[in-house]
Amino acid sequence: MAVSGIPFLEGRYSPTFDLWPIEAKEFNRIHTFYENLREGKFTTTKCKQCGRESYPPRVICPECYSDELQWIELPKKGKVKAVVEKLGGVPICFEPPLIDAWIDLGEGSPVRHVLSRVINCPPESLKEGDEVQLVVFEVPSHPIEIRRETIMAERVFFAFEPAKK
Amino acid sequence: MTERNACIVGGGMCKWGVREASYIDMVQEAAKECLDDIPGLKPKDIDGLLFASAFVGRRSVQANTAPVVAERLGLKPTSICARVDVLCASGSTGILLATGLVESGMSDIVMVVGGEKLYTPERWQVQYDEIAAIDHDWDSPQGIGPPPIWFALTAKEHMKYYGTRREQFGTVSIINYDYGFSNLKGHFQRQLTMDDVLNAAEIAAPLNLYDCCPLSDGSATVIIASEEKAKELSDRPPVYILGGAQTSLHSVTANWPGDHLGDWPHLRLAAEKAYERAKIDSKEVDVAQVHDCFSISEIIELEELGFCPKGEGGPFVESGQTKIGGSIPANTDGGLISCGHPFGATGIRQAMEILKQLQGRATNQIEDAAVGLTHNLSGVNVEHTIVIYSREPRK
Repeated sequence: MAVSGIPFLEGRYSPTFDLWPIEAKEFNRIHTFYENLREGKFTTTKCKQCGRESYPPRVICPECYSDELQWIELPKKGKVKAVVEKLGGVPICFEPPLIDAWIDLGEGSPVRHVLSRVINCPPESLKEGDEVQLVVFEVPSHPIEIRRETIMAERVFFAFEPAKK
Repeated sequence: MTERNACIVGGGMCKWGVREASYIDMVQEAAKECLDDIPGLKPKDIDGLLFASAFVGRRSVQANTAPVVAERLGLKPTSICARVDVLCASGSTGILLATGLVESGMSDIVMVVGGEKLYTPERWQVQYDEIAAIDHDWDSPQGIGPPPIWFALTAKEHMKYYGTRREQFGTVSIINYDYGFSNLKGHFQRQLTMDDVLNAAEIAAPLNLYDCCPLSDGSATVIIASEEKAKELSDRPPVYILGGAQTSLHSVTANWPGDHLGDWPHLRLAAEKAYERAKIDSKEVDVAQVHDCFSISEIIELEELGFCPKGEGGPFVESGQTKIGGSIPANTDGGLISCGHPFGATGIRQAMEILKQLQGRATNQIEDAAVGLTHNLSGVNVEHTIVIYSREPRK
């Protein structure tokens, strides 16, 4: 007799074990960030009332609590301030080398620094002061139920890569 | 309403490490050790329970955990029965909340229990689960769920801005392993040489294996009670909770509040608020338990807590100031680096060690210790929590 409730979910999706955000418009109100990302744009929200720019994007302004926000673009290039490389023993779902950098997006950027993976980069080559640029890639899709119909929601995410000379 | 004083009365912990036991088994072991430490106290006398655990919902598939814990421990709480999650500071947060409940008169005797079962059948889940310990949608996809990468960046920045050397943060590991050698309840009992530290497996350069605390299974328990109840329950000198502070200035790493990663203004703010509440300054602290999740963390914490000037944490540790006889003995039971780190239980272990130090019954006893401090950071350095204890009530 088959017994249900065993820990093998027979191909079912377990969101608690998902590394990536659930980006679909049916699930969150900042889906525009991911749609912009798909077009190569790195964006966040700015308050139409008080002008406060905040990252990550939100539904309300953290300064004045207005919900009238607009989308603005963030710089897509930055300079490496510090870099760490993990050549072995990387966390599950990542491939070595796992390179992470603390990236300075420059004065005037709504957010001065971001922590990001640096991909398309040979090991032991990235150093402080190097210029890097935004790169967008597809990540695994997941099922989502919309009016009793299950579809696969496609997703993208971002990292940085060494800037083209 | 007049505030009354809150005291820490006693404590106990189970053996920490990779345990062949569930969270609820370990909680019972620690609670027994705690009540053995306070012979006059019976479970029926306890009117409040706070259970500190970050991962019991994921790793042990148990939400609303407090009633489960209360039932297994024979408690019938009437003032509070709740679970607390501030990741690595869950236990200290439970102590701060219990203090407020006791000072306000809502609770008389509160048990604060912390516990985690992290090592479930497959080890990969222990590290992988940390995708839920940081800002999931923005930082986890960058690979820093497991925190060594973030603290390696922190170490590099501290080295760059202040000239801190690799051997100086290696010294933290050596000292804390020395303290932990005699702590049989801790995860590890061994001693290290600088060669051991420098030649250990690289985790994320410049951090090697012994610069990082292990994740552990474990549980610890303390009793927080009104001064009146504390004096009824125990003949030992009372230990007062003078107060504390908890600061949270950001969550996503991009909103880091400092000028660089070796600059921790959120900890400076927590220290300022905690000293203000306790009506003491950093010079009055005799013994400290600071959050040595990584060796470099302890160095920066000693600076931001005001135990040495900013940027001088490396030479400060190297000159032996955190050892017995130094200006601020720190992590005298081994700290996270040697005892291990079952998130919710860590702050409670620290409180137990301060309690023993202030009552003159610690294994690595600091002579005449009268004021003690505990500190935790949470996650990739997004929150700071401080609790201050004293043999004398608040001035």
